[in-house]
Amino acid sequence: MAAFAATAGRLLGLRAAGTEGRLLRLRGAGLQRALLQPASATGDAAQRRQVAHFTFQPDPEPQEYGQTQKMNLFQAITSALDNSLAKDPTAVIFGEDVAFGGVFRCTVGLRDKYGKDRVFNTPLCEQGIVGFGIGIAVTGATAIAEIQFADYIFPAFDQIVNEAAKYRYRSGDLFNCGSLTIRAPWGCVGHGALYHSQSPEAFFAHCPGIKVVVPRSPFQAKGLLLSCIEDKNPCIFFEPKILYRAAVEQVPVEPYRIPLSQAEVIQEGSDVTLVAWGTQVHVMREVASMAQEKLGVSCEVIDLKTILPWDMDTVCKSVIKTGRLLISHEAPLTGGFASEISSTVQEECFLNLEAPISRVCGYDTPFPHIFEPFYIPDKWKCYDALRKMINY
Amino acid sequence: MAVGENPSQSLSPVMDSPSLRELQQPLLAGVGCGPPIQKPGEPQLGPPFGETAFAESLRGWQLLPPPLPTVSAGLGEPGPPDLEDASSSDSDSDWDGGSLLSPLLPHDHLGLAVFSMLCCFWPVGIAAFCLAQKHPQRQEQQHFPSLDDKPQFPGASAEFVDKLEFIQPNVISGIPVYRVMDRQGQIINPSEDPHLPQETVLKFYKSMTLLNTMDRILYESQRQGRISFYMTNYGEEGTHVGSAAALDSTDLVFGQYREAGVLMYRDYPLELFMAQCYGNASDLGKGRQMPVHYGCKERHFVTISSPLATQIPQAVGAAYAAKRANANRVVICYFGEGAASEGDAHAGFNFAATLECPVIFFCRNNGYAISTPTSEQYRGDGIAARGPGYGIMSIRVDGNDVFAVYNATKEARRRAVAENQPFLIEAMTYRIGHHSTSDDSSAYRSVDEVNYWDKQDHPISRLRHYLQGRGWWDDEQEKAWRKQSRKKVMEAFEQAERKPKPNPNLLFSDVYQEMPAQLRKQQESLARHLQAYGEHYPLDHFEK
Repeated sequence: MAAFAATAGRLLGLRAAGTEGRLLRLRGAGLQRALLQPASATGDAAQRRQVAHFTFQPDPEPQEYGQTQKMNLFQAITSALDNSLAKDPTAVIFGEDVAFGGVFRCTVGLRDKYGKDRVFNTPLCEQGIVGFGIGIAVTGATAIAEIQFADYIFPAFDQIVNEAAKYRYRSGDLFNCGSLTIRAPWGCVGHGALYHSQSPEAFFAHCPGIKVVVPRSPFQAKGLLLSCIEDKNPCIFFEPKILYRAAVEQVPVEPYRIPLSQAEVIQEGSDVTLVAWGTQVHVMREVASMAQEKLGVSCEVIDLKTILPWDMDTVCKSVIKTGRLLISHEAPLTGGFASEISSTVQEECFLNLEAPISRVCGYDTPFPHIFEPFYIPDKWKCYDALRKMINY
Repeated sequence: MAVGENPSQSLSPVMDSPSLRELQQPLLAGVGCGPPIQKPGEPQLGPPFGETAFAESLRGWQLLPPPLPTVSAGLGEPGPPDLEDASSSDSDSDWDGGSLLSPLLPHDHLGLAVFSMLCCFWPVGIAAFCLAQKHPQRQEQQHFPSLDDKPQFPGASAEFVDKLEFIQPNVISGIPVYRVMDRQGQIINPSEDPHLPQETVLKFYKSMTLLNTMDRILYESQRQGRISFYMTNYGEEGTHVGSAAALDSTDLVFGQYREAGVLMYRDYPLELFMAQCYGNASDLGKGRQMPVHYGCKERHFVTISSPLATQIPQAVGAAYAAKRANANRVVICYFGEGAASEGDAHAGFNFAATLECPVIFFCRNNGYAISTPTSEQYRGDGIAARGPGYGIMSIRVDGNDVFAVYNATKEARRRAVAENQPFLIEAMTYRIGHHSTSDDSSAYRSVDEVNYWDKQDHPISRLRHYLQGRGWWDDEQEKAWRKQSRKKVMEAFEQAERKPKPNPNLLFSDVYQEMPAQLRKQQESLARHLQAYGEHYPLDHFEK
């Protein structure tokens, strides 16, 4: 009880000092919970793991694709893979641990249904997985490779950048590996730290010849993954792992495609354009509500979906309307994909801008473990940046 | 802050096998195990039921250690993001064989017997007592005498040994070198002679010599500034032609960069070799790559790329697809002994073996990787000795003996397709030429060494001696052929020089199957730039 009194006093003290920003930051970090709840011998609230930094907002049930089923993200992925293997007899799925269903259960049941020659484990070697996948694709068969975590894609970087991306160009279109799709879990998950939280899309954005796609939801994931698999270019499909179970919505059972390189305005607005992809789209949605509620600001929220080649037209069109742009991603600030968007938009929409373009990103550090709540570009940081843009 | 609802286990629309569903249940660890937590200062609780004999039997099950969650569970399965779920992250570990007994009851039959007696459940007590006599105690380890003296490890199948001894790698007398002809072109063991018809052997000879002639002329052309770069194949023609001849014409070839003889054997026209080196408008590769980066879809020769060994796992994937398609095709993958040091080589070998792919790994061990001799490239017995480490059938052959190369490749091909397994052929040879036109090998090896191979052990001369020995070739034919092949090469060469380069628009196509909007804008931007500044660019040499 004494501890509580002390912390409560500190809280009041802060208020008195008028350090509203600090209070916001403390609240955002979830410390408020710790300040209001007493420590005890068992179940110390301050030690409990953080609540997620976003709320998944399901989209309304799609009407135009037939019967739907409630699915989470990994189930939507399974459904897409199931559809692909059913439709395309050459399609195979491979990677580490995919045979038993995968560490994120994305391939559960597929080996039983389609056979061990179509859904199989490979040795633990990412450069092998991607190289092998390229080889399959060169013969014209469909190769769906899984990299267990996007953090482990780097051994395959040479095969992706120097081989897959350049196969068609360097051969004068005699050969290609367009039927290759690489899938990998992506982004922060609350406790992943350096090697289970990365968002490496920026490394690949710099590589002409591949496509890079990040879905925000189960419905988007299935449609975008099917588009990637059927696309005639090698694609990397990053799946936000924190959404695997947390994101649930109605998803069509039959196959359908969501076009690549088309960004989506998921909420129209007039004062600020907010651009994000993957998990961060849900953070932006909340930021948009907060902005409307607290500042009376109308935000246009755009889900970029495809990082490469990206839909400049939709973003520029929006910024021309609103005059302000905020881009947010978990990946570190420097060289992150927000810098590419920012650079292009200021070239194309310079005279329309009312304020400098804002980027709210992860810090230029490796992704930390215990400090994750401070690291991620949460809604408070985005809100604060938006506020500054409005008041510019 | 609430999170989106957590789906219950029963939602899975796909076939979620019952065993997997069991694995998804949170651990029951800690329930019923161990005494209740004692708060400080409170009187010590005795055993739950207070009766000594009874408690003794209970202690038996109290002392069972709680099953440990697997280390990997936390990472593979991210815990639910909300705090309402009190249990730690799901574990994939099974435990206790799924006992049907309540955790509160003793798990051993004797204890159960005693318990039942005391609680007046006589029938249960008698039954449990009988079971206790029939079955050994659960706490005691069951004894399997027949498995005592053999290792049970899943990772290796071997015997035990009680003498400490390291395996000595054998590099002094390593894997022997298979050959058919001696250095003078004489068949050593007649039963190994493939008895190829005259026409075929002449084709071998003409392919190798035509390649040699083309190499000389194109090397010179680089020296004269006509092409930017070139790599010769001197001394290795036997590896190309012997192996190419042993394949079906539709077998897929993944090369490194020193396998032009394979294309030559498959009748790739001189015009197209030249077109690629000149990057002219006839180049099927549309002028995008440095010279000698050939490719031909029609002849199943995958376009060469500069990064070394990247083709190795790709060849394995292609072989896997061929196996699935029941194509009766083999994939052959060429690489040098230097490239074999790359991680991609290790990856390719391991995948080929584990995934049972019909692929031939053909290593040209020519003694040097640019300036790096084999003594600095590896310390084991070459590349062939690595094969068994992966479970791959392996052989070492005399790469300058075109029949040995032919025989080995032929047999490897037959078995690779029939048995769906990879084969490794290490063809020993010597790189007589420099690494490329950017290299002067006198900086790192003696002229004497090079001369030995050129004069004493050359695939072309050995085959010529064989041909002459059979009466299928003579000096006059040699003279005539040299003149003719030179003439053919010179004609193709002059034609290639005269042709314009491809349209600069081809700089932008084939990045993707369809041109993205951004790239089209960049293409238009270059077009506008050339309109204003075209005089500073060599537009005259390019097609309009």
